[in-house]
Amino acid sequence: MTSTTIRSAVSPVEVIERTDLNPDAAMQSAVEDAAPPPPQGKRQAVNGSIIAGMGLVALIALWIFAVRVLRVPPYILPAPEAVLNALWSGLAVNPASPKGFYLPLWSTLSNAAMGFAIGTGLGLVLGSLMAESRTVEKLLMPYAFALQSLPKVAIAPLVVIWFGFGDGSKVAIAALLAFFPVLINSFTGLRSTEPERLDLMRSLSATRFETYRIVKLPNAAPFIFAGLDMAVVYALLGAIVAEFLGAQQGMGVVITQAQAVSDVAGVFAALVILGVLGIALHSSVRRLEHRVVHWAHRGKR
Amino acid sequence: MATPQVSRDGGAQRARPLIDIQNVSKTYVTASSGNVHALNKVDLTIAEGEFVCVVGPSGCGKSTLLRMLAGLDTYDAGKLSLDDQAVTGPSGKVGVVFQAANLLPWLSVRENVRLPLRVGGRHDAADQRIDGLLEMTGLGEFGARYPYELSGGMQQRAGICRALARDPQILLMDEPFGALDALTRERMNIELQRIWQTHRKTIMLITHSISEAIFLGDRVVVMSARPGRILADLHVPIPRPRSFDTIVSHPSYAKLASEIRGLLNAQEGAPND
Repeated sequence: MTSTTIRSAVSPVEVIERTDLNPDAAMQSAVEDAAPPPPQGKRQAVNGSIIAGMGLVALIALWIFAVRVLRVPPYILPAPEAVLNALWSGLAVNPASPKGFYLPLWSTLSNAAMGFAIGTGLGLVLGSLMAESRTVEKLLMPYAFALQSLPKVAIAPLVVIWFGFGDGSKVAIAALLAFFPVLINSFTGLRSTEPERLDLMRSLSATRFETYRIVKLPNAAPFIFAGLDMAVVYALLGAIVAEFLGAQQGMGVVITQAQAVSDVAGVFAALVILGVLGIALHSSVRRLEHRVVHWAHRGKR
Repeated sequence: MATPQVSRDGGAQRARPLIDIQNVSKTYVTASSGNVHALNKVDLTIAEGEFVCVVGPSGCGKSTLLRMLAGLDTYDAGKLSLDDQAVTGPSGKVGVVFQAANLLPWLSVRENVRLPLRVGGRHDAADQRIDGLLEMTGLGEFGARYPYELSGGMQQRAGICRALARDPQILLMDEPFGALDALTRERMNIELQRIWQTHRKTIMLITHSISEAIFLGDRVVVMSARPGRILADLHVPIPRPRSFDTIVSHPSYAKLASEIRGLLNAQEGAPND
């Protein structure tokens, strides 16, 4: 989690510098949402897991202190062992059991994954078209920002009306949330290609697609990965928000059902699973990025 | 032969002209300073196999001239032709060596050098050329490395290999060694001379360094401050292969150097109109 905080602290400044190609001042403030390639601090990487581990221990200590010493009632904050119990009873079962976390988790994850694929795919394609063509940019950019400035929770009921209470609405909302960060980041990254590199491709009489494929897309890769990193968490969020509005299965359903019977420990257990899942998804995107965009991490001093 | 001669035609009588620049002018329109008159009636002919170095004060339009020949920039007036064909855009006859190598960091050295073949979908037998080029420049073992693993000098060697990948007739080099330290630069000059002697390309090289220009060039063309004109076209009568040890003791070296320096210094105070 340390790297996330570092990134958000640095991103606005860097992105403003990179968006000077974008003529519309009104859009620039919104473009700040686009995270640039994260700076790679070697020292954080070394101590990262130790710091994270100590943070977790401190958090649990604080939790025990609040429950035992401050006597916070269990319907507000259940004891750690109660949450652990709830976790255990949901995890130590047959994966096919309707009482376990596995089936709802699978349902939520598969919907989020589908939404992620659709949303980020669409974001990359439209971001590329906008970067390549001023006309498409002028045409689509206002709608992209209009869409982004609407609260998704407010659109969600509409999406449920359109796609029903089945998986369709979950996938749609996950896709909607995953779309924007990739759209803006791929657009910004593709537009930030150094002119010397474009000159090189021009001197070789490269086609537009060759220039896109060989120069612009790899150049934008660190930006696109930063977008994917946000999108993967947003997609999960989208799927759960949709489940709150009504679903047969999913972690959102687990939470609402536990809430209905005032099983606070059960709600906490579900939240712990979702939190762990978020960290796992984030770090797997980061690991993929390190593999694909290796030059940006080892090359820069 | 001891006195450097100012000649308009240089070596043009020996072979047919490959690069022909006649009366070329160029005016830029910029947002900050309005019209910038970059080049003013430039005439320059470079014969096949000739090595011509262009020196001039910063911003004199020498890079613009090179970009026009590469088909990357347009010109307003005059005639510009390569091998008797008017320049209308980038051409396969030309290989460009950029400042600071300009390699793509996400491609290995070999993939970078192969790029001109990949673009336009030429592969097959030409691939063996790539290995030959890497061997020739001492990069044979570094093909699988990435640019960031290479020193500046090695990066620019790869840049030169890339420019040679399509086996062009003409090599246009825009201050290729400007970012290197003095020693590496001399070594690269010696290597470039060797490459030129083995491949017999026609080379136009732009530089800030007087010693580099004299060391490498059959001719040194001196340009004026903006708007760029050609002030002098000096023949370098020093036999090849040249080395930095012997070149300085050659009688024409000092004369050429002081003449070029004099021409350039006179430009320092000239108004930029």
